[in-house]
Amino acid sequence: MAILLDRDTRVLVQGITGREARMVTAHMLAYGTAVVCGVTPGRGGEQVAGVPVYDTVAEAVAAHRPAAALVSVPPAAVLDAALEAIDAGLRLLLIATERVPKHDALRLLYAARTAGVHVIGPNSVGLINPGQRVKLGAIGGDRPERAFVPGRIGVISRSGGMTAELGLMLRRHGFGVSTAVSVGGDALIGTPPADLLPLFQADPETDAVVLFGEPGTRFEEDVAEALADGRFSKPLLALVAGRFAESLPEGTAFGHAAAIIRGGSGRPSAKLAALRQAGAWVADDLDELFRFLDALASSGVHHETGQR
Amino acid sequence: MARLLEHDAKEILAARGIPVPRGQAVPAAEAARQVASALGGPVVVKALVPVGKRGKSGAVRLAADPEAAGDAAAALLGREVGGFPVDRVLVEEAVPVAQERYLAITLDADDRTVRVLVGREGGVDVEELARGEGAIAWLELVPGEEMMPFRARALWQSAGVRGPALPRLAQLTAALYRAFVELDAELLEINPLAETASGELVALDAVVALDEAALFRHPELAGRVLIGPAWRPPTALEQQVDAINAAEPYRGSARYLELEGGDIGFLCGGGGASLLLFDALLRAGGRPANYAEIGGNPTETKVAALARVVLSKPGVRGLFVAHNLTNNTQVDVLARGVVQALREAGRLPPDFPVVARETGVNEAEGRAIFEAAGVRWLGEEVTLSEAARVMVQAMRERYGEGDGDSARP
Repeated sequence: MAILLDRDTRVLVQGITGREARMVTAHMLAYGTAVVCGVTPGRGGEQVAGVPVYDTVAEAVAAHRPAAALVSVPPAAVLDAALEAIDAGLRLLLIATERVPKHDALRLLYAARTAGVHVIGPNSVGLINPGQRVKLGAIGGDRPERAFVPGRIGVISRSGGMTAELGLMLRRHGFGVSTAVSVGGDALIGTPPADLLPLFQADPETDAVVLFGEPGTRFEEDVAEALADGRFSKPLLALVAGRFAESLPEGTAFGHAAAIIRGGSGRPSAKLAALRQAGAWVADDLDELFRFLDALASSGVHHETGQR
Repeated sequence: MARLLEHDAKEILAARGIPVPRGQAVPAAEAARQVASALGGPVVVKALVPVGKRGKSGAVRLAADPEAAGDAAAALLGREVGGFPVDRVLVEEAVPVAQERYLAITLDADDRTVRVLVGREGGVDVEELARGEGAIAWLELVPGEEMMPFRARALWQSAGVRGPALPRLAQLTAALYRAFVELDAELLEINPLAETASGELVALDAVVALDEAALFRHPELAGRVLIGPAWRPPTALEQQVDAINAAEPYRGSARYLELEGGDIGFLCGGGGASLLLFDALLRAGGRPANYAEIGGNPTETKVAALARVVLSKPGVRGLFVAHNLTNNTQVDVLARGVVQALREAGRLPPDFPVVARETGVNEAEGRAIFEAAGVRWLGEEVTLSEAARVMVQAMRERYGEGDGDSARP
C-alpha cells in the first residue's frame, strides 16, 4: 500500500519535451514509475525516452488512460496546463514549476478543489514511495536510493531539498521511508501538510511522520490542530526551521516564497508551541530529531508514546 | 512582494479610470513650489517612501500656498522615513473632503481567497477598523470571477452606506477589483477614499503591492517596482547580486541579504536547509554576516560571483558553504566557483577558515577541489547541524574565544 501513488499509477508528463522534464522522465522510468505518455502542444508524434508525445492532454488520455500528471511547464503556462489536465479527468497533479503567479495558483487550486482533483505543489520537487520504487517528479534525482530506502516513516516537507536530506539522514540512522512528499515551497499549494495526515494515518505501512516546517503560513498550526482533535494519532516529529527570522524586521521571505513572517503571524516559535501543545515531538535541531526517532524505535514506535 | 511608490500606484490606477488628485513627484523644494503654484490653492506634500503610516511619522504635510509647499518639501527631502531616505516628494492638490471611506483588496494565501474589505469611515488604520471602531464589511470572490457592481453595492450597504454614494462606490470598487486582478496585485488599499461635497470619489492614497512572480506579465512596470527588504533600501552588495541574476537569468538562482555585523560569510542552499543552517550557526554561537543562498544548479560563474559578494562584506573572516543533499546542483561546480572566489580574494585556509558540507551530484570531484584548496569538506556522515558547529569551532580555533563584535542579525 502507498499514499497517493503506486507502481500501477499511469503517469502523464506535461511539458515532457523541456530540458528538465526530459531528464526527470528518464529518471522516473529508470526508477519504476509507469510514465505512459507526455504532452507538449505542437510536438505531437515525437518521443521522449521512448514515451509518446501528444499535442493535447485529451488525446493522451484517450490513448493511455493516465491517472496522474507531472506538470513541468514554464510559470506562465501552468494555469492552462493544470486546467487542461483537470478538464481531461486526471485525478492527481504534481506541479513542479516554481514561481507560479499567485492569481494563477488561486484559480487552478479552486478548479481542482471543485473537481475533486488532488494537487501537490506548485513548487514541489516530487513524491516518492521507495517500497514500490515509484516516484513522481525530480525527487531523489537519478539516485533515489541514496536518500530513500523502504521503511515505515512518512516524510512531509515544505522544502524539496530537505525532503532528500531527511531521507538521507533517516537511512543513516537505520530508518526508511514509506512515502515522502515535498508539498511545495509556496503558500498557495494544493496539499498543505495537514491534508496529508489522514492519508498517513490510514496507511498501515507508516508508523510515524516527520514534518519539516518553515516560517510563514498556517500549515504547522493546522497540523497541530489535526493532532489535537485526533485526526492523526501516530507519532509526529517536527522540526521548524527559520527561528532566526523572528529577530529580523518582518516582511522578508527567506528561502521560499511562503517563508515570510507578516503581521505577527507565521512565527516559528508559535508553530513550535502549537505543535508541542498538541503532543508532537518537537526537535530543536536535526540531532534532536534523530534522538527522538531512536527513542521511538526502542519503544517499538507505538501510537501512545511521544508526549513532550 | 513588489511595492510601488504612491505616485506610481496612482498613475497606474488613474490609467484604469480611478480618480486621483492632480499632482506630481519632484526631487527638490523649488520644483515643489512650482508644482504647487501651477496647481493653485492648498496642496499636500508627501514623502515618497514605501512604508505605511506616513501620516503618523510626519511625512505628510498640508501646505496653504506654494511658499509653504516648498518649505514642506525642503523639510522632508533628505530625511529618513521608516528606514528609507526621502529623495522625492509628491505634491498634489488638497481635495476638500466631505466623507472618508476605507477600501482594501487583499490576496489571502492562507485562506486561498481574494477579500474585499470596505469601511464606512476611512482615514483610520485597518487595525482600528478591525477593533470595531467603525462599520466594516467584507466579501470573498471566487477566483477568476468578475466582480459585478451589484455585489459591491451589497457590500457597501452592509458597511452602512446609503443613498447616492452607494452606486458610485460600487462602480469604483468593481473597477478597483478589475485593476487588482489585471495587475496581479496582492494588496490594493485606498485609504482614505474621499467623497467630495458634490459626491465625487477620489483616491487620496493608494498602497499597491504586486506579486513578484507575476512581474513577467507587466513589463510596463519595470523600473517602478521596489523589491528587497521591507525595512531599508537594498545595499550595494544586494544590488550586485540582482545584477548577477539579471546577467544569467535562466541558470540557478542567487540571493543575498546583508545583515548588520557578523564575521561568518554564509553561502548555503536550498530554501529549507539554509533556514536550518542559519539557526544552527546561531545556536552554536556563530555570527553570520549575511544570508546568501545559491541553488537550482547554478553555473560556476554565478557561484563565484555570489561568493565574491559574500567575501567582500567588511568584517567577514570565514566562510560557511553548505547544502542539503543536492538533487541537481553539482557539487564540483560549487567547489570550483567558491575556490575561484577565495583565490581571487587571497583568502584561503588555514588563514581564512572555510567549511563546506557539500554532498550530492558529482560529490567526489567536488570534495577533491575543496580539499585541494584547504577547505574543510564534510559529507553525509555529518548532519547540517553538526556542520554549523564545525564552522563555529573553526572560527574559535583561528581567532580565539569570544573575539569580535557581538552583533546579531
